[in-house]
Amino acid sequence: MTLVFQQILNGFVVGGTYALFALGFTLIFGVLHVLNLAHGAVFMWGAFVGLFTVTSLGLPLYVAFIAAMLAAGLISVLVDLVAFRPLRARGSPEFAAIISSIGVAQILMSLAQIASQTQVYRFPFGTFPIVFYNVLGLRISLQQIVIVASVVVLVALLLGILFATSFGRQIRAVAISERTAALLGISVSNIHGLTFFISGALAGAAGVIIGIAFNSVHFLMGEPYLLRGFVVIILGGLGSITGALAGGLIFGMVQTLSIAFLSSALSDAILFGMMFLILLVRPSGLFGALHRQVRVVRQ
Amino acid sequence: MTASTLSLEGVSRRFGGVLAVENVSFSVAPGEIVGLIGPNGAGKSTLVNLIAGLLRLTSGRILLGAADISTAEAPEIARAGIARTFQTVRLLKDESVLDNVAIGFHAQQKSPLLARLLALPAALAEVRATREQAFAILERFDMAGFAHVPAGALSYGHQRRVEMMRTLALRPNLILLDEPVAGMNDVEADALGRIFQGIAGEGIGILLIEHNMRFVMSLCGRINVLDSGRIIASGPPAQVRSDPAVVAAYLGA
Amino acid sequence: MIGFVSSLQPLGELVLVNACLAFSQYVVLRAGVFSLATAGFASLGAYGAAILAARHGVPMPLALVGAGLIGAVAGLVLSVPLSRLRGVYQAIATLAFVQIVLSLALYLEPVTGGAMGMNGLPRLIGGWELILVFGVIFYAMLALSRAGIGSTFDAIRQEETVAVSLGIRVVDYHRLAFALSGALGGLGGGLMALRNYSLVPEDFGFPLLIAVLTFVVLGGRVSPVGPVVGAAVLTLLPEIARPLADYRLLVNGVLMVLVIIYWPHGIVDTIRLHLRQRRHAVSQAAP
Repeated sequence: MTLVFQQILNGFVVGGTYALFALGFTLIFGVLHVLNLAHGAVFMWGAFVGLFTVTSLGLPLYVAFIAAMLAAGLISVLVDLVAFRPLRARGSPEFAAIISSIGVAQILMSLAQIASQTQVYRFPFGTFPIVFYNVLGLRISLQQIVIVASVVVLVALLLGILFATSFGRQIRAVAISERTAALLGISVSNIHGLTFFISGALAGAAGVIIGIAFNSVHFLMGEPYLLRGFVVIILGGLGSITGALAGGLIFGMVQTLSIAFLSSALSDAILFGMMFLILLVRPSGLFGALHRQVRVVRQ
Repeated sequence: MTASTLSLEGVSRRFGGVLAVENVSFSVAPGEIVGLIGPNGAGKSTLVNLIAGLLRLTSGRILLGAADISTAEAPEIARAGIARTFQTVRLLKDESVLDNVAIGFHAQQKSPLLARLLALPAALAEVRATREQAFAILERFDMAGFAHVPAGALSYGHQRRVEMMRTLALRPNLILLDEPVAGMNDVEADALGRIFQGIAGEGIGILLIEHNMRFVMSLCGRINVLDSGRIIASGPPAQVRSDPAVVAAYLGA
Repeated sequence: MIGFVSSLQPLGELVLVNACLAFSQYVVLRAGVFSLATAGFASLGAYGAAILAARHGVPMPLALVGAGLIGAVAGLVLSVPLSRLRGVYQAIATLAFVQIVLSLALYLEPVTGGAMGMNGLPRLIGGWELILVFGVIFYAMLALSRAGIGSTFDAIRQEETVAVSLGIRVVDYHRLAFALSGALGGLGGGLMALRNYSLVPEDFGFPLLIAVLTFVVLGGRVSPVGPVVGAAVLTLLPEIARPLADYRLLVNGVLMVLVIIYWPHGIVDTIRLHLRQRRHAVSQAAP
């Protein structure tokens, strides 16, 4: 029984990091109604920037964390400029946006491959102290506590920005209707840029956390997270912030438990099977967000 | 195709708490041009989409002849003989004018799927015959010279004409026209009006949804006035024009 | 000279295999279905053909037909729930299908060999067989365009609401597109299996999905020539311009962004549209 609780605890931590990754992913869909398939590549670059800040510049981890968030945020803004803005100006459909963001993802991955010479990097030993605590018979590492704490802080920050600042009000206005927002004097393209920055910064934070937790940083690390990020945001409902949080936690639990008690190959089949079923039964996700994109039938 | 009357019987549609269309009944007989007018937001487009099979009825029923088509999906409604145009012209912009009209014959294709998949001679012959029929329609509307022009390159008036030809390719018994002369000047509108009269003369019923009062009054034998989802007046143009309820609705009293 | 030609042959074969996979992606995109399932179909077809030919001694042509059938059935089954979805939802659901197939291929070790895959497969397909299969598929794609199915697909893709108002049963056509995509994907996978000596599940993951999508985006998704051109350009480019080979990913990415922004119809269809407009300009000037 302790084993189950231990796995649930681990799943909670894993789920938190997935939620962090997926929040930025879903935020862009919620505001701009496009899928940003370069999100995984932005996340990967966040991990690299964090790593190089520690290894090459010798700066402490918290500085690396902030540097990674800033850098990933800026890269994400660049993704917007290159992949999405030219299409928006033309009023292109979602298909084109997906293709161009895949293209930018490939460019970002290729640049990381060149910069890293296709090597797998690790954070130097001792970057993070290895300390374990025993609480009620469960093993909790300091690392896990810090991960959960930083996820909580970042989510609180995000919610604070979205719901308690004028930027947040503008973002939500643009999400509801770009035209109305523009009529209200909101600079829609600035808000898009800001949304991409926030999204990228969250991905960068997730990149550093994952890079430390799994002690590996390489140019392909974004892809599996992107794919699993889909599961998270579909579980929670495309575009929904609270949905992504809940979806991340559910994802972490299911993944950890199925790997522990079944097999890791089957775990992916279960998770993607779950997503497939949700799409068929409740395309708006478990927590219901927007409902669009159904075929032409009587409605 | 046997001509049959379209009848709406107590049709209602609710969106959330709002009744967009409430207890609407009227009919369109073969060869008749019936007008449907009303201020913005009166529920005209909702009504068209209810008939065309894009929206579900909350209550009431819609009949074509004796057949109940209230729950049929849009492709089956089209195949039953109800064609429609759209408020904003919707053409396949990159395709030629001829192809835009030819696609209207889709529902009449007879060759089996396998024959078409393998491009067997019978299927190819059918494609050729369809294109010839489409060309004949172009000639009838003086558009043969534009047959190979991409539809998106045409003027607005000509695009409207292509849309009209496409609906005729369906060989419908009834056509729903959703604001067909919006954005046209009087000369263009009258030219299109004569085309509608010709079509009605062949025994096809027309339900004309319009803003342009002058245009509706000149074409329709009967007019239904919709306001806030309800029919507030119904009858010949002269009678409707002088109806106090209509005047009030239109002057925003 | 002989060395040069013999180095071209495997490359040419690769172009043909990639073109078959590209057709699987092309068929759905042309019909307005945003399916990314081709990699999954290819996986099913590849394992199917390998198991039939290597384990049960089924002759090569039958093994290929089997691969196509497996894919077609998978496509048809998938189409039943997926024809209800649209746009990004359809894309994500088919992405899930690809991932499910991939993880099942890893998990079902007794059947698929798991992560080690299947090795020592007989090489049953060479240049001539490939040319023959490609010829048949290309004819089928041309037939699609000539006998009205292609223009029905085009109508659905451009204006679905118009399509239904003209009596086009969109669901049926989307099922057809899924089934054809499955058959072509399965066949493409079968071709890969029977000329590669070995198979691993990762051959049919996200990178293949992206590659196949890129072929069609670059080439075009209306004319059947498009996917062939797309597959040929992207397969040959890194080989012809050798220095580019190390930057394959970068070149792909840059091409994708440029094409979708500046030539959204793809190479072949952009040229076709351009020619048509020019012809039209000429014919208007004539009288």
